[in-house]
Amino acid sequence: MPLAAAEVSALRHDLRTPVNHIVGYCELLLEDAATDADDARRTALRAALASARDVLALIDGTLSASGQDVTPGAIDALHTRLRAPHDRILAAMDALRSPAAGDGFSADVERIRHATGRLLATHRSSVPTPAAPVSPAQPASPASPAPPAHTRGRVLIVDDIEENRDVLRRHLTRQGYAVDDAADGAAALRMAAEVSYDLMLLDVRMPGIDGHEVLTRIKRDPATRDIPVVMISAADELATIAACIEAGAEDFLPKPFDPAILGARASASVEKKRLRNLEVDYLKQVDRVVAAATAVERGSYAAGALAEVARRDDAIGRLARVFDAMAAGVRAREERLSEQVHTLRREIDQAKQGGADPAEDELDAGTLLPGALFADRYTIIRVVGRGGMGTVYKAHDRELAEDIAIKLLRLEVMRGDPTMAERFKTEIRLARRISHTNVVRTHDFGEREGSYYVTMEYVEGITLRGLIDLRGHLSPAATLGIARQLAVSLAVAHEQGVVHRDIKPQNLLLDAAGVLKVMDFGIAKLADRTSTITQAGMVVGTPAYMAPEQLMAETVDARSDLYATGVVLYECLTGVLPYDSVNPIALIAKVLNQVPVSPQEKDPGVPAPLSALVMRLLAKDAADRPQSAVELGELLAQIE
Amino acid sequence: MPRVLLVEDNEMNRDMLSRRLMKAGYEVAMAVDGAQGVEMARQGGYDIILMDMSLPVIDGWEATRQIRAIEALRATPIIALTAHAMAGDRERAMDAGCHDYDTKPVEMARLLGKMSALLGQAPSP
Repeated sequence: MPLAAAEVSALRHDLRTPVNHIVGYCELLLEDAATDADDARRTALRAALASARDVLALIDGTLSASGQDVTPGAIDALHTRLRAPHDRILAAMDALRSPAAGDGFSADVERIRHATGRLLATHRSSVPTPAAPVSPAQPASPASPAPPAHTRGRVLIVDDIEENRDVLRRHLTRQGYAVDDAADGAAALRMAAEVSYDLMLLDVRMPGIDGHEVLTRIKRDPATRDIPVVMISAADELATIAACIEAGAEDFLPKPFDPAILGARASASVEKKRLRNLEVDYLKQVDRVVAAATAVERGSYAAGALAEVARRDDAIGRLARVFDAMAAGVRAREERLSEQVHTLRREIDQAKQGGADPAEDELDAGTLLPGALFADRYTIIRVVGRGGMGTVYKAHDRELAEDIAIKLLRLEVMRGDPTMAERFKTEIRLARRISHTNVVRTHDFGEREGSYYVTMEYVEGITLRGLIDLRGHLSPAATLGIARQLAVSLAVAHEQGVVHRDIKPQNLLLDAAGVLKVMDFGIAKLADRTSTITQAGMVVGTPAYMAPEQLMAETVDARSDLYATGVVLYECLTGVLPYDSVNPIALIAKVLNQVPVSPQEKDPGVPAPLSALVMRLLAKDAADRPQSAVELGELLAQIE
Repeated sequence: MPRVLLVEDNEMNRDMLSRRLMKAGYEVAMAVDGAQGVEMARQGGYDIILMDMSLPVIDGWEATRQIRAIEALRATPIIALTAHAMAGDRERAMDAGCHDYDTKPVEMARLLGKMSALLGQAPSP
C-alpha cells in the first residue's frame, strides 16, 4: 500500500535537511579552500559534494514531489541505495581529519559527519512511523538543539533505540515542545537532576538501568519526584507497566504509539506539572512565612525577610505583607521591653547593694523551724514572707529534689466554713491552669494536722514592695518594665477566667534577671469570704489597692485587677500611694470620692502618656479604665 | 549593507546559512521560531526575510501571514525556504504572502540571485 502524501512530505523534509547541511558546509569549506594549496582537501570536499548530490537525486527519484505512489518497498530500496553515497561522504570526511586542521575547519567536518549519519537514521526511523495525519503546513522538523523561545514545555525522551527517540522528538517538536533525549538510564537520571522537565517519556526496556529502576529513583528523590513520567512500552510488558504505575508513573504509551495519544498524554502531563509547580511554589512561600513566624518567636526575625513573598498578588503575598508589618511592630516593642527590663534589673541590683529586703528583716522564725520536716516531704529552710493569708517558707522538696515555697495558711482563713478546704482545692486547680513565665506556678494544696498549705514555685528575688522601699521610687523605664510584664501575666490569667483580686507590691516578685512573677492567683477570692472591711488589713492586705467596686462588694472582674495595677504603678513612679490614710474607713472614703494628684504632677520626670495611663487605670468607674489586660499591654507598648 | 532576518529553527541551518550570507555581504539577524520571527520583524530594520516553513510554535506559513498583516512590513520581501519541496509548495508560499520560494538543499548562487533581484540590486551585493 502506498504511503500517505503527508508521510512522503515528512520523509522528504527529513532527508533533504541533512543533505542541505552536507552541501552547505562542503561549499563553505571549498570557498575557504579556494586559495589553499592543499589539493587533497579540495578533492575530498568535491567528492563529498558529488555524493551529496547523488543522495539528493536518489531521494527525489524515490519520494516524488507529488507524494504519490511511494511504497514501503521503495523506501527500503532507497535505504539500501543511500548506503553507498553515505559511506563515500564519511570516507571523504575521514580523509579531511587532520591534526593540522584549524578548529573551525574540524568543527565543520564534524557537522558534515553528523548530518551524513542522519541520512540513514532518519530514513530508518521514518518507516515505522504510523501514517499520522501530518499536514504539510505543519511538517515534521528535526529537533533543534536550541529550544525555541516559547515552548509548551520541556520533555525528556529516554529510549535506548535512536529511531524511537527520533520519532518521538519529531512529533513533540512539531507540537511545540522543547525536547531533550537520553539513550540510557544513567544519562536520564543525570539530566533530570539538572533540568526541571515537564514530562519524561521513559522506555521500560533498556540495557543497564531499566525504565522501572529509573522511575523508582526519580520518584524517590525529592528534587525530581514531581516530574511526570509516562512509560513507553510494548503490549507484552503490561505487568511491568502496572508495576511502574504503582511506582508513580502517570500513564503509559503503548508501542507503536499513536501521535494523537502522545499529544494528549504530553499535554495532560505538562499541565499537571505546571499546576504542581505552582503548588510547590506556593507551599514554599507558606514555609517561608511559617519560618518567619518561628523566627519572630525566637527573636531572630529580620525585617524584610519576606520581601519576595510580599511581592505576590495572592493571599500568601497579602499575608506576608501584613505579617512583616506586624513583626516589625512586635520587634520594636520587644526591644523597648528589653531596655525597660534592663533598667529594672539595674535598679534591683542597686537596691540590693543598698541593703537587704526590709520586709525580710522583720520576719520571725515562724511556727516551723529551719531544718524541720513538714508533711513528710518538705525540709523547711527559712521564712521568706508573711501576709494576711499566712507565712511563706522556703523549703526543699525531698521527693522532687528542688526548692519550693510553702504558704502555710492561718487557721482563721479556714475557720468557720467547713466547705473552705473544697473551695481552696477548686481555686488551686484553676490557678494551676496558668502556666507562664510571669506567674508563680502553684503546685499543690494540702492539709497537715489541721493546717492547710499551698506549695508553689520558689523564686529567688525581691518583692516589688522591697524594691520600692529600698529605692524610694522607680524610674519610668523600670516601671514600664514591670507594667508590661504584669499586663501579660494578667492577660494570661484572665484568659483562663482567673481574676487575681489582690494585686499589690507584696505579691509581685522580681528575680535577678528582672523577670516579674505574680503570686497567689485566685487565693484572695477565698479570703474575701472570711474577711470584712475592717479585717482587710489582716486578711487581704490594705484596701489601698482595691478598686471602688471591690470595696463596695459589687461585681469584681478583670478590670478590678487593672485598677490595682494602676495603684501599683502609681506607687512605683512616686513612691507613695494615690490615697493614704491610717484609718481604713477614711481611706475607703478617699478612694470612692477623691481624684489623686497625677504622677506627673508629683514628679515632672514621669512621661505624660504614662502618667495619663496610670490615671485612667485609677478611674472609679470600671468602664472608664482600659477594658482588658490585653488592651493595657497594647497601650503600654506604645509608650516610649 | 542589506540586513537579512533569517527565521530558522535548525541550528546547523542557521549556522551554515548565516555564514554564507555574511560572506556574500549581508548583515544577518536570526530568529529560532515563527513567533520570535514575527516579533523581530515587527521591530523593523530588515531589508529582506528568509523564512523556513517548518518552524515550531508558529510555522512559517502563519508567521508570513502575520508579518504581511503589519502595515509597515507589507513591502518587505520574504523568501520561503523548505526542505519538503513538494509540488504546490511554491503556490502556497506565494498565497501566504511570500515574494519568492526556494528549496533546501539551498543552491547559494540561485538564492543570492533571488535576494538581489528582490532588493533591486546587482546579483552580487
